[in-house]
Amino acid sequence: MPIDDRDLTSTQSQVTRRTFLGRVGLGGAVATTVLTGARQRRAQADSTTSYPDWIPPSPKPPKRGGILTRASEWDPPVLDPRLTNSVGLFQFACLVYNRLVRYPFSDEAANTTDLTLKGDLAESWQGSPDFRIWTFKLRQGVKWQNIAPLNGRELVAADIKYCYEAYAKEGVQSFTFREIEGIETPDKYTVRIHLKTPNVMFPQILAEVVAVIFPREVLEEDGDLKKRMIGTGPFTLKEHTRKVKAVLARNPDYWDKGRPYIDEYHILSTPDAATRTAAFRSGQSDIRWVASLADAEAIRKTNPTAVLEEYKNVQTVFGLALAQDKPPFNDVRVRRAISMAIDRQKQVDTIYEGHGILGWGVPYIYYQDKMPTAAQLGPYWQYKPAEAKKLLAEAGHPNGFETTLFYYEYFPQMSSQVQLVQLDLQKNLNINIKINKLDYTTFFGRYAEGKWDGMAWGFKTGYAVSLDEQAYQYMHSKSPKNYFRFSDPVVDELVTKLRQTPDKAEQRVITKKVVDREHDQVLRMWMPYDNGILIWQPPLRNIGALAMRRNDGYGASTFARLWLDK
Amino acid sequence: MYKYVIRRFLLAVPVLLLSSLIVFGLMRVMPGDALTALMAESGNVSERELAKLRKDLGLDRPYHEQYLIWLWQMVSFNPGYSIFTNEPIAVALKKAIPVTFELATLAMILGLAIAVPVGVLSAIKQDTPADYTGRVVAVSGLSLPDFWLGTLVITFAAIWFRWIPPLGYASFWDSPTKNLQQFLLPAAVLGFRLSAATMRMTRSTVLEVLREDYVRTAWAKGLAGRIVVYKHALKNALIPVVTIVGGQLGTLLAGAVVVETIFALPGMGRLTVEAILFRDYPVVQTNVMLVAGILVTLNLLVDLTYAWLDPRIRYR
Repeated sequence: MPIDDRDLTSTQSQVTRRTFLGRVGLGGAVATTVLTGARQRRAQADSTTSYPDWIPPSPKPPKRGGILTRASEWDPPVLDPRLTNSVGLFQFACLVYNRLVRYPFSDEAANTTDLTLKGDLAESWQGSPDFRIWTFKLRQGVKWQNIAPLNGRELVAADIKYCYEAYAKEGVQSFTFREIEGIETPDKYTVRIHLKTPNVMFPQILAEVVAVIFPREVLEEDGDLKKRMIGTGPFTLKEHTRKVKAVLARNPDYWDKGRPYIDEYHILSTPDAATRTAAFRSGQSDIRWVASLADAEAIRKTNPTAVLEEYKNVQTVFGLALAQDKPPFNDVRVRRAISMAIDRQKQVDTIYEGHGILGWGVPYIYYQDKMPTAAQLGPYWQYKPAEAKKLLAEAGHPNGFETTLFYYEYFPQMSSQVQLVQLDLQKNLNINIKINKLDYTTFFGRYAEGKWDGMAWGFKTGYAVSLDEQAYQYMHSKSPKNYFRFSDPVVDELVTKLRQTPDKAEQRVITKKVVDREHDQVLRMWMPYDNGILIWQPPLRNIGALAMRRNDGYGASTFARLWLDK
Repeated sequence: MYKYVIRRFLLAVPVLLLSSLIVFGLMRVMPGDALTALMAESGNVSERELAKLRKDLGLDRPYHEQYLIWLWQMVSFNPGYSIFTNEPIAVALKKAIPVTFELATLAMILGLAIAVPVGVLSAIKQDTPADYTGRVVAVSGLSLPDFWLGTLVITFAAIWFRWIPPLGYASFWDSPTKNLQQFLLPAAVLGFRLSAATMRMTRSTVLEVLREDYVRTAWAKGLAGRIVVYKHALKNALIPVVTIVGGQLGTLLAGAVVVETIFALPGMGRLTVEAILFRDYPVVQTNVMLVAGILVTLNLLVDLTYAWLDPRIRYR
């Protein structure tokens, strides 16, 4: 039978195109309404959800064996720890290498903010009375991993000297290690470090995750550390394929006998956030970090046995940076007015679903016990639009002004924050901001070069734990990490004094003065930041997250103590 | 025909040269360079060290010198090293090309396997529910972006089935089962878009051909419907479809960028995106030239296919 229009018309059903599309459209509208309603109900429920902020270590005796798997968003740019501070590298480099000293692991820490130094390759350490000489006694019998060319030889003091001198010579840590005037090795197990200037916090610098000890043989044979990773740490790097995975295997000769507990740790390169969540839901990943409460709750609904820990941030790493060496931002009244015209609480309530911090730069644990309240942040951190307008008028800008703001979207909420700031400043001060969203490389190139005008959404690097890094290295006017481009003689004096003050209580007093000065002069205009949620599969033990050391990133060295209760 | 092929290849030379100039120029126009990106990962590097690195990598030379050096590297099949990772580009490509090739091939197979039968069905059942369904699916395929569909698929697969394709790429030769598990879903996502355009084209061309005199003659001869449609109508209807499929190859490679990211496959898409973000000039330039070369070759193959589909076509 021939087929033509008439025949087809005669065989078609009574459904016309219009009625068909109409039905599909109606169905879609109903489905959308139902889904939207469900989403709204879930968001309302989330605002009342709370999770513990500390999961203590397991009291049970640890079990050996098993494989830990994590879908990771990061890839290392290079394997050479001299050339990068990237979390992509240190998420596993800190498990292959050791440091001289370290911060507590999850099973040792009294609480999330416990930063008591522990010996890693060093058993003990002591500073001279003037804190210009630091002597470290090494642990005896520590062996490099049994891989050529090290073949399990013993680690000695000369290794430490070689490594620190290499860091000072070139690479991203040269600023830190150039503080060293000279290193002596009076015997196989003693390292004596002479500093150019006194620094009571020098051991803390050596405890930073990036200060790992690498072997001289590999650097001398290869000319760099890009191809091989051999350390003294709890795991060996069994396999690394860029953009696919890194496989770490238990080091059977690890000096900390009996540890680590797990056989292997697989880090699977997974750049997409939805895929990382799906990997956790399907059991392919044991750990997941989410910033949003709604996301955490959604995962809990599909994986009700998952363990959730609230990660309370002790600091913000992002804020509004102003070209404060130029007008109009070199006028403190302008900076104060801008700070008071921004409704930070609104950002916390809307963008972070009420689950965030208002924003401060130096981790509060270095100067007070409890998280700062809004009032404690000082008058210029309060939302006072009328006063802000008056102050800006006094500074000679009654009608506001025009400026620019450039940023890179490190996470999706950041764009909303930038837009809210734009709105607040336009509404309250008539400051019109032209926003320029840049890609990573363009942003960083411009930001770090430090010659920009107007505003930037600034940051400090993510790995830093030590007070010296947080204070002197980020805030001294001569430091290359002074990204916020401020030069304040009072701060310079205080952060230098901090390095010469051994007494902890006195350190806290000085740090508070630094913070007060920063807030009073609005030197760095910190913005709200989220408190994330760490989620892991039920069998994981000894995985509690620690302040400034998220265990899925720079704090991964705690996996040396993790075990699987299966 | 040989003359035609040689002429087409010769015509490809200016096309590739123009592509090389465009990609070289665009990469230089973009602010920042690979060292800036490395510095961003690193925290800080002194200006002195950056200047030394730029000199070592030849980034301080005039642009025309850099271009000619790179062109020579491309002609001599030695694309050099990645600035960012220091890995030989040939090694990186050797790992990435099979991934994208497999993904694109599977997507193409799946896409065509769906598009052609549904397109034909839609044509022969014009204006019936089957036709409407096919057309709605086709419009959906054209309008749903890959990133959205991919995210939806992986999310609901995890929620409903507690399963997603295994992470951690395994090659087909190492583990065929795992490899197919990893590729089928992303290939389906990628193929869906391809199938949509192809399905619409198949439907319209089959409808057109079904009205031709020779088809009416075939019906008049009393041939079975299946033979009329598939032997007489479909083959002649396929020329525009092949053109569409050839044109879709570029879209397929662009879609692979997103799909590879969502499904964590280490293919050309991810390699290129990362290289662009990190201003890894040699990697981006090599990848773009490779894709340009592939597209030129495939378009030639598409043109040559016409003669097989329609013997009346002759190449001069």
